[in-house]
Amino acid sequence: MATLTIDGVQVTAEEGQTILDVALENGIEIPTLCSHPLLEPYGACRLCVVEIIRRGWPRIETACTYPAWDGIEVNTKAPQVMEARKVILEMMLSRTPNVPIIQDLAREYGITEPPFPAEAPDEKCILCGLCVRTCHELVKADVLNYSAQGIERRVGPPFLEKTRQCIGCGACSIMCPTGAIEIVLEQEAVYQEKPLGPTSAVWVPSLQAIPRVPVIDKDSCIHFRQQDRSEGKIDDACMACQMLCEVDAINFEQEDEIIELDVGAIIVATGFEMWDATKLSQYSYGQSPNILTGLEFERLSNSAGITGGEIVTAEGKEPERVAIIHCVGSRDHNAHEYCSRFCCMYSLKQAHLVRDKTDASVYEFYMDMRAFGSGYEEFYERVQKEEGITMVRGRGASVEVLSNGKLRVKGDDADLGELVHVDVDMVLLSTAVEAPHDSSEVASMFGLSRKPDGFFAEAHPKLRPVETNTDGVFLAGSIQGPKDVPDTVGHAGAAASMALALLDKGEVVISPQVAIVDEKLCSACKTCISLCPYTAIAFVDEDNVARINEALCKGCGTCVAACPAGAITAQHFTTEQIMAQIEGLFRVPAEVEEGVKA
Amino acid sequence: MNTSKTQKHRADLLVSCVHDRAPDLIPALEAEVKRRGLEGEVKVVEAGCRGFCSMGPVLLIQPDGTFYVNVQPADVPEMVEETLVKGRVVERMTYQEPSSHACALYEDISFYSKQHRIVLRNCGMLNPASVEEYIAVGGYEAVGKALFDMTPEGVIEEVKKAGLRGRGGAGFAAARKWETGRKAEGDIKYVLANGDEGDPNCFMDRALMEADPHSILEGMIIGAYAMDAHQGYIYIPYEHTLSVKTMRNAIESARAYGLIGEDILGSGFDFEVEVRVGAHSFVGGESTALMHAIEGTVSEPRPKHIHTTEVGLWGKPTCLNNVKTWNLVPEIIGKGAEWFASIGTEKSTGTQVFSLAGKINNVGLAEVPMGTTIRELIFDVGGGIPNGREFKAIQIGGPSGGAVPASLLDMPMDYETLEEAGSMMGTGGVVVLDDRSCVIDVARYFLDFLKDQSCGKCSSCREGIRYMLEMLTNITEGKGKMSDLEVLERMGKSVKISSMCGLGKSVPNPVLSTLRHFRDEYVAHIEDHKCPAGVCKALIEHYINDQCNGCGLCLRKCPQDAITGEKKELHTIDAEKCIQCGVCFDVCRFDAVGVR
Amino acid sequence: MPKLKSLDELKKLREQLQGDIKARTDSSTTITVGMGTCGIAAGARETMHAILAELESRGMDTHVTTVGCIGMCSKEPLVDIQQGDEPRVTYGNVNTEMVPRMIEEHLVQGNMVDEWVVGRVEG
Repeated sequence: MATLTIDGVQVTAEEGQTILDVALENGIEIPTLCSHPLLEPYGACRLCVVEIIRRGWPRIETACTYPAWDGIEVNTKAPQVMEARKVILEMMLSRTPNVPIIQDLAREYGITEPPFPAEAPDEKCILCGLCVRTCHELVKADVLNYSAQGIERRVGPPFLEKTRQCIGCGACSIMCPTGAIEIVLEQEAVYQEKPLGPTSAVWVPSLQAIPRVPVIDKDSCIHFRQQDRSEGKIDDACMACQMLCEVDAINFEQEDEIIELDVGAIIVATGFEMWDATKLSQYSYGQSPNILTGLEFERLSNSAGITGGEIVTAEGKEPERVAIIHCVGSRDHNAHEYCSRFCCMYSLKQAHLVRDKTDASVYEFYMDMRAFGSGYEEFYERVQKEEGITMVRGRGASVEVLSNGKLRVKGDDADLGELVHVDVDMVLLSTAVEAPHDSSEVASMFGLSRKPDGFFAEAHPKLRPVETNTDGVFLAGSIQGPKDVPDTVGHAGAAASMALALLDKGEVVISPQVAIVDEKLCSACKTCISLCPYTAIAFVDEDNVARINEALCKGCGTCVAACPAGAITAQHFTTEQIMAQIEGLFRVPAEVEEGVKA
Repeated sequence: MNTSKTQKHRADLLVSCVHDRAPDLIPALEAEVKRRGLEGEVKVVEAGCRGFCSMGPVLLIQPDGTFYVNVQPADVPEMVEETLVKGRVVERMTYQEPSSHACALYEDISFYSKQHRIVLRNCGMLNPASVEEYIAVGGYEAVGKALFDMTPEGVIEEVKKAGLRGRGGAGFAAARKWETGRKAEGDIKYVLANGDEGDPNCFMDRALMEADPHSILEGMIIGAYAMDAHQGYIYIPYEHTLSVKTMRNAIESARAYGLIGEDILGSGFDFEVEVRVGAHSFVGGESTALMHAIEGTVSEPRPKHIHTTEVGLWGKPTCLNNVKTWNLVPEIIGKGAEWFASIGTEKSTGTQVFSLAGKINNVGLAEVPMGTTIRELIFDVGGGIPNGREFKAIQIGGPSGGAVPASLLDMPMDYETLEEAGSMMGTGGVVVLDDRSCVIDVARYFLDFLKDQSCGKCSSCREGIRYMLEMLTNITEGKGKMSDLEVLERMGKSVKISSMCGLGKSVPNPVLSTLRHFRDEYVAHIEDHKCPAGVCKALIEHYINDQCNGCGLCLRKCPQDAITGEKKELHTIDAEKCIQCGVCFDVCRFDAVGVR
Repeated sequence: MPKLKSLDELKKLREQLQGDIKARTDSSTTITVGMGTCGIAAGARETMHAILAELESRGMDTHVTTVGCIGMCSKEPLVDIQQGDEPRVTYGNVNTEMVPRMIEEHLVQGNMVDEWVVGRVEG
């Protein structure tokens, strides 16, 4: 703990702090361009020079490198210091006259015009070295360094040539205070993988989620990329987020893990997947960056998205015309025959967003408008009448990418009874939703059955919409069939209630009619296991027998019939019992027999 | 190795400057000596630099002290015949004092007789490739004295009493450095020798490493003992190939005698040393930049609030001294602090090696006691200004120093006095300017040198050089404005206080010191569009006056064919064609070419 | 090359090596042999070799140097011996047999060999 004076104010400092650290903490402003809390002090820009009086001796030093020693007196606004900063800014402004941050600082120090003519007016690099130090200290890739000396000094990879050492992480460009570094190649590469452009490696997957927790995308994260690239040799790259996180919440060691829980009820809410629009080539999806699916458009128009919510084409221009095509992959014999149900409404919403944010004309190609929910029809009316959207009733037939980059949408207009086309700048495809691709595995895990459309079957379409044929397993949301948000919330609420009702009882009443295995007879052929529709039979390795979970068994008798060894019997339906019943049925009552005799 | 016990020989031929200037001289001498059957009688020794650069190659014959200059292989047969066989001096090969009498003997030459050679004590006297010759003159006995008769503290105390200041430029007290290094906590400590001489026109460190490598090693061993260090590095620029070769050879031969390595002289003290080679630059000699270079990173300085004696090379306590400082240590230990302190002035003890360059007769290395006046150095040792021209100023301390005008000729040269005059001792580079030297052009030259010798880290130094150079260039081209002078002064002062390292802080010195002492010359350039010294090409015009007798020499030499005239008639210069190169001025023997 | 194990070994080595650079180090005694054409013709070279050999065998620290004709050609070979500030003594007609006695008496014992002396120069 040290006590020092800055501009006459007594302040305290921790061990290891610099004068700049302490000044900033205490709201005393010192200009600087080359310091950063994550990087070691360097002292290249010299703007943070201050007068320091130590043991009676005044000296001029940079605040970013000088330790906040006990007893020193610091004067951040001494006349010769202000003069030195002014001279430095005059020179910087002369060399890089068009960098806003330099212009602003220069203006603060009363410089309006660069005193010397610029050699290269487009020069942006002020050689502060932030990028070099980021690459060395944080990324640990050591791609960037200085070339040449003196006034020829410049920053770049070795020999100023492209190098494979660069992982294109872009950390240097983020650190650069003047925008002198562009990551051109990397952006192209990322665009290929992620059509809507790069995101930060740390991001919040769902802004509405509670708690709103960010995650690290291992594919973009410098730490993991350097680790992968160096086959584990560089295991301390970057870690900037960890250094900055005040509550110490970042853990690079964390691995995916499987947690086993014993539970009383399960709600299957595995949702839906977007149908792949490339499967129908007439929509040309993937052939132009301006053909987007509904979900991609959501990301584009999101204020947290890459354009900050601005609706622009891939060329960065505001579109003049936008076409929205309904039922792409839905209600189509070549794709899904069912209606995806919520696309009509979101398509209308997206039409509204386009009209709201741009001046573009919107053309909607629809077959039927399914505005079924509360207030939906009114919204449909409003969009049509007040926002001037052109509604074309009829399936949008195809999208063609023209040589000038425009998109030609063709369709039939059922009202006019003829084919129409329109050239637009952006096409939004309201693509179908479908059951997730791995639904069959989930179904067999829980003993659920699937409907012809691939979604999971409820126990009864009208009376038991959230229950399944497996006791204690419930469905919520779109896994049972496409749903919009209110329907999903309602459905999920019902599933939760059903599960809670079950848990509240604490016990499950099961039918006594279950199958049991006579373990002495079981030949461990496992025939029964795959046959059981309720996954009630498990094979016990230790005992080398099949065993039936009585809580799951519905007593259907499939296994009983199938067991080659005759080792399974259905309780209360044993052969003896049935035979006895049959005998009983056919037994002539005594009085009849007596009557006969008589 | 020259240890073989042959017949006692009567004369040593000490040959200097052969490496660059006369690689054939030694073979020629050896062949001739053999041909005359003198092999057993005389010995040819390849000695190091004798510091008399304008006269090289030089040959000293001992014990008679006959000294020959500009010796070429063609001179060898005559020299051997006359001097070695017949014992006569070859008059034409001796040195002619500027006061125009011949000097046959080494000790009669004022360039040498007025020097006080301590640093250069062995230079040109010993074969630098032979550790035996160094041992024969008592070499490494100071190491013995320190290791056996003195404690480390005692060594530091002795150096402190001697008042030894670092010869690298700043003049920091060596003993204080050693003391902090000794007290600093650390399992590993380093001693470093700085052989990265960066000043233009400076060559004493290189000469010393090439001529007397063992004295540097001996000093380092003593310093390491005082600091409790066991590893040393000598940093030499890559370009100085002979220094690297000589130092490496010296280390190997000293190691062979057990003077470097484990258990030196049976004392139990271990010391290893290695030569590290790096790229050459002016800033590379800055202590932290040099450490970065040894570590293998970019050679640029870092802040030194924590001294390198506490946190230096690889974060360990490190003591860095110039090779000349190390070289002085064995002398101080051997002859005692009082002897050393008696030379020089009270605050600046000992001697200083100056490299004399520019408009001076005796170009070379001159070692004089601290406090010697500029006049003594330039006129007594240096032999004065050639062609009878007028002394104008010296630029001392290289690019970091400043110009000292003729009015201060009788100023004693020591650290403090020079600094007060706006200059500095630096490494002792002296460039002499006469009335035909333009100070602005000289300042511009130094900035032009610095523009790619600064590391470029600090914006103040880097951009300061850029724009000060731009302004000076404008002034020398007649495009300057009077307001430039204020800007130069403002910029100079700010760069001085806001740069990080010693180099950056001294970058404006040539500009500021010439502005201080020669402001009228700046004004003449800007307002009158005249270069009083007749140097700045854009501002001068050559003409031929009526002294011309039409000899035609200038006409033949003019590279532009700008001079016309009949034999024995007045010549004229065509101003359109003339590029102001000055060749006519230089060749004219009748003062008929003028500059205006 | 043996490693030096002590300061004494270093000093001993120094003594051994000193001879090699003797010509360059100060010595108070100088023997000068006249080596003009006349001297050489009279056998000055042989005399000088004898002097060098004699000094070598005695391990003496004495410079041997040559000069041109001293001007007394009839007495060649001429040999000058100068010790410190003592007057310079010139011997004439010095042949190889005379060398051991001259060195023994003049340099070792400090007595001039009077009968051979041809001249003395003060200072």
